[in-house]
Amino acid sequence: MTNNKLTVSHAPFWHDGDSLFQMNLNIMIATLPAVIFGIIQFGAPAFGVLALSLSSAMVWELIMNVISKKKISIGDLDSAVIGLIFGMMLPATSPWWLVVTGTFVAVIIGKMIFGGIGANPFNPALVGMAFLMLSWKVFFDFDAAYVNYEFDFTALAPLAALKFQGAYEVAGVFPMSDLIMGKQVGAIGSTFGLGLIIGGIYLILRGYIRWEIPVSFIVGIIVTALAFSMANPDTYAGPVIHLFSGYTLIGAFFLATENSSSPVNRIPMLIYGFSAAVMIILMRNIGAYADGTVLAILLLNVVNPLIDIIRPKALGKGVNNA
Amino acid sequence: MIKRSFFTLTKPRLSYDLVEPDPKESEPIPIPSNLTLLLNEPIDNTRQALIKKGDAVEKGEKLRLYNQSTEYTISPVAGTISAIDTYSDDFGSTSTYLVIKSNQGQTTQTNSITYDLKDDIASADEYFRTLPGAPPLKILASDDVKINTIVITCSDMDLLSTTNQYITLKFLDEIKEGAKVLKKITHVPKLCIMVPESLNVQGKFDSIQVFKTSMEYPSNLPAMILKDHLSMILPAGKAPEDMGVSFISAEAVVSLANAYKTKSAGFEKILTVIGKQGTQYRIKATIGTPLRKIFNAFNIHINEQDRIVIGGPMKGFATYTPHHPVQPDMDTVMIQDRDIIPELSDNPCVNCGNCIRICPANVPVNILVRYLEADQYEEAADKYDLESCIECGLCAYTCTARIPLYQYIRLGKHELFKLRALETAND
Repeated sequence: MTNNKLTVSHAPFWHDGDSLFQMNLNIMIATLPAVIFGIIQFGAPAFGVLALSLSSAMVWELIMNVISKKKISIGDLDSAVIGLIFGMMLPATSPWWLVVTGTFVAVIIGKMIFGGIGANPFNPALVGMAFLMLSWKVFFDFDAAYVNYEFDFTALAPLAALKFQGAYEVAGVFPMSDLIMGKQVGAIGSTFGLGLIIGGIYLILRGYIRWEIPVSFIVGIIVTALAFSMANPDTYAGPVIHLFSGYTLIGAFFLATENSSSPVNRIPMLIYGFSAAVMIILMRNIGAYADGTVLAILLLNVVNPLIDIIRPKALGKGVNNA
Repeated sequence: MIKRSFFTLTKPRLSYDLVEPDPKESEPIPIPSNLTLLLNEPIDNTRQALIKKGDAVEKGEKLRLYNQSTEYTISPVAGTISAIDTYSDDFGSTSTYLVIKSNQGQTTQTNSITYDLKDDIASADEYFRTLPGAPPLKILASDDVKINTIVITCSDMDLLSTTNQYITLKFLDEIKEGAKVLKKITHVPKLCIMVPESLNVQGKFDSIQVFKTSMEYPSNLPAMILKDHLSMILPAGKAPEDMGVSFISAEAVVSLANAYKTKSAGFEKILTVIGKQGTQYRIKATIGTPLRKIFNAFNIHINEQDRIVIGGPMKGFATYTPHHPVQPDMDTVMIQDRDIIPELSDNPCVNCGNCIRICPANVPVNILVRYLEADQYEEAADKYDLESCIECGLCAYTCTARIPLYQYIRLGKHELFKLRALETAND
């Protein structure tokens, strides 16, 4: 036994057993209610878009690993999560090249060129989405996207309707129960509000996302939308339609909470979530876009390093009695 | 190993282990024929050593390398020195090890040398630094630091460890006796004792002030004791000694009491050995006994790639050889099977914030580690609180990316001190 080689390493010798794989797997599990509902609602094309998005995102990372001669890193499922969330934000009728281009921008430009996992200053899925929305705006017109579908509910994209017709016209067209239960036109994974909330609560309870961000985000949406609506109820809708349509809920639970581009200290997290929500309502109500979620969160990603320096004083710093 | 619970809305809680009520006597390990002693001074070949291979030593004899040496060790047996060589620790600092071949039978008890002892700290420091429990006599006797508070630790510093609690239950009278000795030789104005809140002995320390420490890790660490019980904030980069506080383990106090009673040194170290299945063995071994002897006595097999951890799971260190000797300050030895050794990774930080939420010292570990990875030690210390770390290891325990954070921090501090030493030398 004296010649045995022992393992020598440094403390601590225990670990809580968590890993990046576990974390990303859980995020994917949390998306399932919304994803499954989206597939049922929009049929096989939705499944195709999700599958292509997820797989192409992983392939882009693999290609980048090979080109840059780095260790193959797709095993941590990070690009799978990017691909899946990216796919959830697309309309079910997206053509294949749109999906593949989007995941290219998301994974390569959004994440890999910054150094891979953990190094991205922006949420990669949002970088890809912003690129597509600015380049091929026509594919994100949800009313046009589902023109061949037969729905048993109002086949109007709520936010677009709100933007062009005003709150007075759309009042009553979108009852809250319909919005929550996914009876609305939108992206594959963003219509089923209840599913997104369940997934988000699951992630909060499991400790994989920080509760401060989604909570302050939702509070921000409610407060700002309410303020606008009280100022001019004919033009600006109340919080319900803002909260349960567009990318709001997927933004609150899956986009704004992306680790690398969001703050970690408590007060910065609250500021971050709240400000992102304020920006969204500002864009929707007085900006040019029907749904400002993508750009609003990207904007707050830029601000993140600045607000995350608000942090508690470390033990023994700034004491003069030494 | 304590795993992450399914729901982790709050930060994970790790609790210290409580010693079993009415513990059994510790099992003695026979004195082996060869003992290894560590001497905290490197070998200097240019100087004439006081000791050399082949020298006969007596039980209790003080061994020093050179005439000017301040570091010493005490031979726990009568015998001959069979080897003197260089030992290097995990940071590459070198010291010396001596192997002493015992010439006494395992059953015959030779008496230890008695010392000419006076009731002052200098005299205690002269002979008793290597008593079981490693009393911090060097610091107490030093003229550079003024110690005005001594805290006797009846709690254990690391998880799984119960040695000091065991000693508290078994040797309460000796602790009280030792506290008197400490007071007499050091003249400190304040002597207190820290006891786990769940250990039912708080009322038994007569007039000594008792701090009840929480069972939640890391509340027994010196910086936390200062903060919670002495209302002192340990400034970044300072040791408790700089604040006039010294910590001494319950075992060291017991050894001091016995040493003053017999005017000779004791060598029986009590330690808790934790086997692969988590079985605890409480043993009593002579300082210098190779760990291998202990494993053999309990049929613990060490296989290829297993890990021998000295100290606890959070703050200990891993040794590369089962010949590693029992040391005066070694409270716990834990053996990990290779199958349960958690894997580390070279992933970058993903900014999940787990370390931020668990850090008891509010260190921004997520930013700090980026600086440490880039070897920016000065900046890490100035802006990102490297020196505020109280070295509890919780950040690395909870890291999602499995970055060896604690190791980065310790290395960072080590390099920082080297840099500073260099700067002072250049000035």
